[in-house]
Amino acid sequence: MRLALAVVSLLVMIGSGVVVYDQFHSRWEDNQRAYFHQALEQAKTPAERASLEGRQPKIEQTIVTAFGETRIDRCQSCHIAVDDPRLTSAKQPLKTHPYSAAMGDVFRNGRWERRHKFSDFGCTLCHDGQGRGLDAADAHGEDPFWPSPMIGYTIQDRWSKETAGHLRGADFIQAKCVQCHADKDFAGTPLVKRGRELFFKTGCFGCHRIEGLSSGTIGPDLTEVGNERKLDYLWGHIVDPRAYTATSVMPQFKLSDDDKKALVIFLKSRRGASMSESSVDQFRMQTSTTNPVPESVAVVAAAITKASTPAARGEQLIQGYACLSCHKVADHDGGISPDLSYEGIIRDQPWLIDHFNNPRSRVPDSNMPAFGLPESDFADMAAYLMTRTAPPPAMTPAETFKTLCARCHGEKGDGKGINAIYIDPAPRDLTKAEFMTTKPETRFLTSIDQGVPGTSMPPWDKVLTDEQIKGVFDYISKNIVREPQKQLKPRKVPEQNPVPMSAESAQRGQAIFTQRCIGCHGRKADGRGPNSLDISPRPRNLRNSAFIHNTPDRRLTESILYGVEGTAMPSWMDYGLTQSDVGDIVNYIRSLNTTGK
Amino acid sequence: MSDEVNSKWKNVMNFPTNVVKSIFRNPLPSSDRGRAATSFTNFFLHIQPVRVSRQALRPTYTMGLGLISFFLFVILTVTGVLLMFYYVPSTTQAYGRMLDLRSSVAFGVILRNMHRWAAHAMVATVFLHMCRVFFTGSYKPPREFNWLIGVALFLLTLLSSFTGYLLPWDQLAFWAITVGTSIAGYAPLVGKELKFILLGDATVGQEALLRFYVLHVVVLPLVLTLFVAVHFWRIRKDGGLAKPEEAEGVPVLAAAGAAVEQPSRRFSIQGLVRGPFVKIGNLEEDTVFSWPNLLIAELFVLLLTIAGVMIVSFLFNAPLEQPVNVMHPPNPAKAPWYFLGLQEQVSYSAFWGGIGIPGIELLLLVLLPYFDRGKEGVGSWFARQRILANSLFLVFVIANVILIVIGTFFRGANWQFVSPF
Repeated sequence: MRLALAVVSLLVMIGSGVVVYDQFHSRWEDNQRAYFHQALEQAKTPAERASLEGRQPKIEQTIVTAFGETRIDRCQSCHIAVDDPRLTSAKQPLKTHPYSAAMGDVFRNGRWERRHKFSDFGCTLCHDGQGRGLDAADAHGEDPFWPSPMIGYTIQDRWSKETAGHLRGADFIQAKCVQCHADKDFAGTPLVKRGRELFFKTGCFGCHRIEGLSSGTIGPDLTEVGNERKLDYLWGHIVDPRAYTATSVMPQFKLSDDDKKALVIFLKSRRGASMSESSVDQFRMQTSTTNPVPESVAVVAAAITKASTPAARGEQLIQGYACLSCHKVADHDGGISPDLSYEGIIRDQPWLIDHFNNPRSRVPDSNMPAFGLPESDFADMAAYLMTRTAPPPAMTPAETFKTLCARCHGEKGDGKGINAIYIDPAPRDLTKAEFMTTKPETRFLTSIDQGVPGTSMPPWDKVLTDEQIKGVFDYISKNIVREPQKQLKPRKVPEQNPVPMSAESAQRGQAIFTQRCIGCHGRKADGRGPNSLDISPRPRNLRNSAFIHNTPDRRLTESILYGVEGTAMPSWMDYGLTQSDVGDIVNYIRSLNTTGK
Repeated sequence: MSDEVNSKWKNVMNFPTNVVKSIFRNPLPSSDRGRAATSFTNFFLHIQPVRVSRQALRPTYTMGLGLISFFLFVILTVTGVLLMFYYVPSTTQAYGRMLDLRSSVAFGVILRNMHRWAAHAMVATVFLHMCRVFFTGSYKPPREFNWLIGVALFLLTLLSSFTGYLLPWDQLAFWAITVGTSIAGYAPLVGKELKFILLGDATVGQEALLRFYVLHVVVLPLVLTLFVAVHFWRIRKDGGLAKPEEAEGVPVLAAAGAAVEQPSRRFSIQGLVRGPFVKIGNLEEDTVFSWPNLLIAELFVLLLTIAGVMIVSFLFNAPLEQPVNVMHPPNPAKAPWYFLGLQEQVSYSAFWGGIGIPGIELLLLVLLPYFDRGKEGVGSWFARQRILANSLFLVFVIANVILIVIGTFFRGANWQFVSPF
């Protein structure tokens, strides 16, 4: 017993000793002593020497109150020589902070005077990091959860190796200069300027809002993204938008590393209000009713040459607005969005103008933003697209499929073409025999011929002849589906909805819908129920008016009563729904889609 | 005159001795009477009985769990008060204060670590203590009421730990409390109101932080202290720790290492202590003096607890995640580990998992000593006569442990089952 007592007493004593030693043995004191020693060696006058000899290590701190929240920077407890010109060639942490005429430092009377004095600005205002930390790892922000590690210097443990390699360097500090030097043409921040141009040039502004710059609503608001995200997230998300958010519809743009870096620096500089804005400026910006004209309009307008015809100007605009960083025209291919090479014979001018003004008026789940460009530009771009009337040269069905269909449906026809993930509803998986062999041939031929309204499937009737269309369909049946058409038992489905449309019927339909359907189709019937993400093909968005209007009662009723083979839609007849129940549901669905008939 | 001077001089000479004597009324005891008097006249020692049964001293009988829980509470109080000097219950300042503690306050890291790990440990030891009391049948009459106090103490411990969880105001805290209070929101009738009263708002925010802070540093510790006092007092009044009905001449002395002196003169304890509940007089043969036997054991447990908490705190840092971001919940958002069993149950059914089953379990715990009153098997681990009760309780414990393990290690994004290996 007494031995045990002695052992634990010893443990407590050793523990206390270790804790106390750990607390009071500080690296910064060693650093300061090393500094005193080095400075003493270089001291020339006795006065210098005397001042150094009397010094004892102490915590050096700057309290910065002039810029936003009060900052307490103790960085100089280790980096004690930042303002001592004698140690320009010393090793970190005892090195003099470089003097730079570009940053406004002045060489006067044989010595440098700083423009940004540490006593006014501290360190973390520019460098980020954790000013209060007295331990290198703390202070530099290496802790994986520290929100602002030293910019361009500290790589946190959780950052991926390949990303981290791009995130070092003094350039990244430009993102911080912008906090005060908010002028977009400020000479000291060329990369922010370049990133800002890219933000407009590559079309980012179409989806993302940045207060005072853009008003996109498809993607997240980036006004304060610099506060919310660290460099690795910004870089990683541009490189692969789906690495962090599996359901992101953001295109994976093809950018050079330099462009990515400029964009990351620009985004990192977005921190809401800059130090140079007053709250009144802010308020004016927020309440301003005029939509800020995207800078891209100005940038592009300055870049394009005088063109003779609207179509020629439209061609330049399509280049200038970087439409082809997503779309394809002839040989230029962004690899993200539909091929516009035959747009002149697929669409007409009103369709194009409508679609430019609001893509979702034609394809309700389109991820193309409404860019809000000037109407004259839209008109010219439409005029150019209307000149793309040359049909493709005669090809074999296999070639036709590869050229026209594979972009969305995939070379193997599995619905996984290069732009399939950006298209909603997703392209049909043509390899799914269960689906393909149970629908009448005419339905497929119509879909190819007339397109599917409300989706990205365009009408091919003017591009391809009827024989070509038949040829492509036969090619699909033979080489992709590879199963013969099935003869289904005759089904009892009314041509017209037997239940007349009425508010009561729609209400009954809604009740059944809420009970049976919302798990997949969602409470709003928009196809985004809780199970929708696990289902392929995704449940139909029943608020897609263009699609619903074009779908006859017969098909809606049949799909509900008998289910849809090859999809997750079950046969609701087996679960006890009667024809009149289904009639009510159809009426409910129709009642959701009253516009755009 | 000289006599007076003499006596004054004597006073001066004897000053140190007198001071010591005024504080320590008894010399270090060398006789049984002295040992009894020491225990009896000292404020801190009088909480303990003068004599203590050998059974109660056996480390394998109690494992010191109740005492460890108490000492952890003491550690928590001391470190907690020190932390209060640095903490500000404000959503704008709290997280910054955490960073201060970690990087610039002297002993900040170790203080915070000790407070955090001791809190987790206390939840565990209090629960284990409850298990010990059950498996040894120590809740039976006349100790029913103390069992109730114990259940209340367990709940208070959980609540204290839970309210403290929010204070760092990091992502871990915010979402754990969001999940935890949502579970409270599932209670029938009063759920919504309870949640609102707890949070002072519809969501976790400044009001919630302030409420949790006041609960954590004032209300709960005070109530807890009161209950601990009653708990200890009842132990004495119920005749010390539970022991088998008839003393079985167990060879416990060697194990406990108790010092046994042959009494030089027999005297009755009743001569010193009166009261209706004191039962020690009859069992003198099986008891030893608290001084030094019990005191050394307690000192050992105290030092062991301090050493354990200190070593763990030196080796492992208390977690601190990003500052609160209400727009980006972690996936999955998990409650503190001791509530993960609940959260796991909630993932099957919000009402039954969060309120129904825990409510029934709690009710059973409360009613238990009033319905299981037989005297068989009291005072020994897993007594054969109590096989049914012990098995049922074991199932309850294992089920909860399994649920907590599943919730902690086997649940990933969207509460999907994942393998940690």
